[in-house]
Amino acid sequence: MSGASFVPVPLQQDDTVLLPERIADLTGLGGLGTAGELVAAFIAAFIVGNLMLAMTGVAGPWAKRKITAAFTDRIAVNRIGPFGLLIIVADAVRLLSKELIIPENVDRPAYDLAPIVVAGSAMLGFAVIPMGSGVHLADPEVGLAYVFAVSGIASIGLVMAGYSSSNKYSLIGGLRAVAQNIAYEIPLVVTGMSVVIFAGTLQLGEIVAVQAEPLISLGGFTIPQWYAFVNPFAFVLFMVANFAEIGRNPFDTPEAPTEIVAGYQTEYSSVYFVLIYLGEFLHIFLGGAIIATIFLGGPAGPGPAELGIVWFLVKIWAVFLLTQWLRSALPRVRIDQLIEIGWKGMLVLSFANLVLTALIVGMIAS
Amino acid sequence: MSETPQQERGRTAHEAEPVDADELESILGELVIGTDDHMNAPAFVIRPDDVQRALGRLRDQAGFDHLSCLTPQEYADRYESILHMTTYDDRRREVTLVVPLPKDDPVCQSAEPIFRTADWHEREAYDLVGIEYEGHPDLRRILLPESWQGHPLSLDYNQNKPQVVRYAKHANPLEPDQRGAESNTMLINIGPHHPATHGVLHLKTVLDGETVVDVDPDVGYLHRCEEQMCQQGTYRHQIIPYSNRWDYTANLPNEWAVARAIEDMADIEVPEYAQILRTMSTELGRMLGHFLALGTFALDVFGDFTAIFQYAFRDREVVQDILEDLTGQRMMFYYFRLGGVSWDLPEPRAEFFEKIRDFLDDLPTKLAEYDDLLTGNEIFQIRCVDTGILRPEVAKSYGCTGPVARGSGIDYDLRRDDPYGYYSELEWDVITEDGCDNYARVLVRMQEVEQSAKIVEQCVDLLEDWPEDDRTVQSNVPRTLKPPADAEIYRAVEIPKGELGIYIRSDGSNTPARFKIRSPCYHNLSALPEMSEGEYVADMIATLGSLDIVLGSVDR
Repeated sequence: MSGASFVPVPLQQDDTVLLPERIADLTGLGGLGTAGELVAAFIAAFIVGNLMLAMTGVAGPWAKRKITAAFTDRIAVNRIGPFGLLIIVADAVRLLSKELIIPENVDRPAYDLAPIVVAGSAMLGFAVIPMGSGVHLADPEVGLAYVFAVSGIASIGLVMAGYSSSNKYSLIGGLRAVAQNIAYEIPLVVTGMSVVIFAGTLQLGEIVAVQAEPLISLGGFTIPQWYAFVNPFAFVLFMVANFAEIGRNPFDTPEAPTEIVAGYQTEYSSVYFVLIYLGEFLHIFLGGAIIATIFLGGPAGPGPAELGIVWFLVKIWAVFLLTQWLRSALPRVRIDQLIEIGWKGMLVLSFANLVLTALIVGMIAS
Repeated sequence: MSETPQQERGRTAHEAEPVDADELESILGELVIGTDDHMNAPAFVIRPDDVQRALGRLRDQAGFDHLSCLTPQEYADRYESILHMTTYDDRRREVTLVVPLPKDDPVCQSAEPIFRTADWHEREAYDLVGIEYEGHPDLRRILLPESWQGHPLSLDYNQNKPQVVRYAKHANPLEPDQRGAESNTMLINIGPHHPATHGVLHLKTVLDGETVVDVDPDVGYLHRCEEQMCQQGTYRHQIIPYSNRWDYTANLPNEWAVARAIEDMADIEVPEYAQILRTMSTELGRMLGHFLALGTFALDVFGDFTAIFQYAFRDREVVQDILEDLTGQRMMFYYFRLGGVSWDLPEPRAEFFEKIRDFLDDLPTKLAEYDDLLTGNEIFQIRCVDTGILRPEVAKSYGCTGPVARGSGIDYDLRRDDPYGYYSELEWDVITEDGCDNYARVLVRMQEVEQSAKIVEQCVDLLEDWPEDDRTVQSNVPRTLKPPADAEIYRAVEIPKGELGIYIRSDGSNTPARFKIRSPCYHNLSALPEMSEGEYVADMIATLGSLDIVLGSVDR
């Protein structure tokens, strides 16, 4: 375990070139000093943000329908454009041109801010994810902690949405969301910490780099040291906690369409609805990105390093596919069962995993 | 086809009289003030203030534990509140209590303290006919809005008079502040438009956190005056089509209820060949209902459109295609005629049989898939086992029938207990489960699909070998059917939801004087509060799904 040597990690590794720097170099903005670097950073953020938004755009109106249809023996959208792809455009126009109905008694600033908080918190997380092919906005030393922190902000958005809508279904949905997020955030972070013990760093770039080293070689075929292979138990725990965190089946109680209509998003329409929906998809993708980064070797994959982003997106989409699969196949647990699984099961298992990992890593290091 | 075995059985069942009228009369003793002539059972006339005593005696001393139906009606000189009683052990034991009420003051003692199911029935009687029940805990309208004026099935009701109601009376019922000063509960209106209500049903639910403290089902949004429409239709052709609109997820079994009541009343025989056709098509109809019930129940527990829901629809579609070939329709079949069915199997017959056999051959694989996705799933089990508990005593008190009763271990199926059609000639089982919970009800439905398949297969075998010169699909029925005046009959059949009973009183004309529908969904839904109070709201939704109500059948 090379990563287990606890040498202080420099704030910025010298050999990785981040996207803002590259843009600054390519466009010559770097020569303009701090202002130029700032502009370059904005351009880079714009590129990454749009990449994620585009992915959500494909996923929400089109891929989700197609995937669910494949699971449920249907065809889904196939009329507009090849494979029905232009439904994305049609849906965007449709959703954005709908009337924004704001109920009379809503708590205004909170009601308006909630969709932005939900969508924005997920976007923030992508800033530190190394996506390969040089698409990496920043690589702070506390990268992993940062990702967990910003994605946790979404809970506030959900509570705001649920509480400010002045709708009882929304309120129940908001309360369920926050109860669920608290119950599963701890196992999520604790399981993430077990990876940190292996890697010896919170820095995502470094965690990815450590995973590139070989675990075993079997007759010329090398299995890399992805943490999903090193510690499958932690991988499974993390996946489960992640599904609860993003509120997907079997843990979709905050929305639970047949029980509480649509939970916290019941009163949202038009653009606000799009934002909340967008936020949910971004959270699924962010969850996939975290899983890919800390368990699946980030952008690593066969072929030249330039293909990194492709492999990275493949991994994210695999996680997305899994969420849709579960959605089609699994019933949802009841809220009390969900909380019970969280506090009595996941929490204990994740701490056991952490302690075991620490012991093993400590023994190997000594 | 002069005398079919089926008709013989029907007769002997009738003539053997499974109930001893004299014995019942001695049990009722001084309560009996006269007898009435009902075709299905001995009928005793009792005084309005003896209802509870008479019911109590019949239940405790003679074992009549099933208040199947309560029919209110108005004559020119009196009101009548008729209680149709039977037993869960032997459906052929029937007795009728007739309570005549004075025209100027129709007040009857409530049967609610003895049978909980009388609660909703008496509210309906009050709502539609205008009979008042003394001692009823909550006598208010049930099908019509609170502001309705008059009682539509009473004789002096003017149908042409517009319902002019002051705007104030239409005040938003959600407007008043329902919060109590001290309480920690929350009133939440689930429905009338809600993803889980399977139609327009309004559940006024009081929640304490996530726990259901109280739930009051508000029905009637889909009330279409079916009873009155049937009273205006002629026996021969105009009533059976309405029955398709009651339980519209499984229409064919409904048709049989009407056909059976009228046929028994007018003494019409059904050729044996037609009985087989009826049995086969009805069982296919039962599968339609059960597939939908399984799919929508999965929807309630899984959320959104899931694989199992679509699989249920995929399989339902095959059955619908078969029935379309047979009847020409996909939903409102109207295949039954008095004295038989409308027409023979489609030509070429071999192709039609092949289609059914293909479906039956595929069915076990499909049901195994259901088992994997649904009943074998651990999450499904933790959601459904021990939720929505319905104890057998409670189920009986509420008059629950069908898979809901059989899921509570009550071995009660009219196809076997009160034989009609061709069922008693065929090999099949009545499925019961002892779980009393949502899971048991799902298991019952899954196994009943298998049993229906078994029945259909035997029918196909019989039909294939049936001699060509003996294929009478309809017996001779007078063009204008006028049953004898003042004939009264109550007959029921087993539809996928339970016991669908029809009460008809004739007045010698070609339309019924009174037509009452006993819907199984109405009874099953009335047990919802008992089943869900104290449970989580998610379980209440699942329980509602497991009751498999169809609002068309509840509201009629």
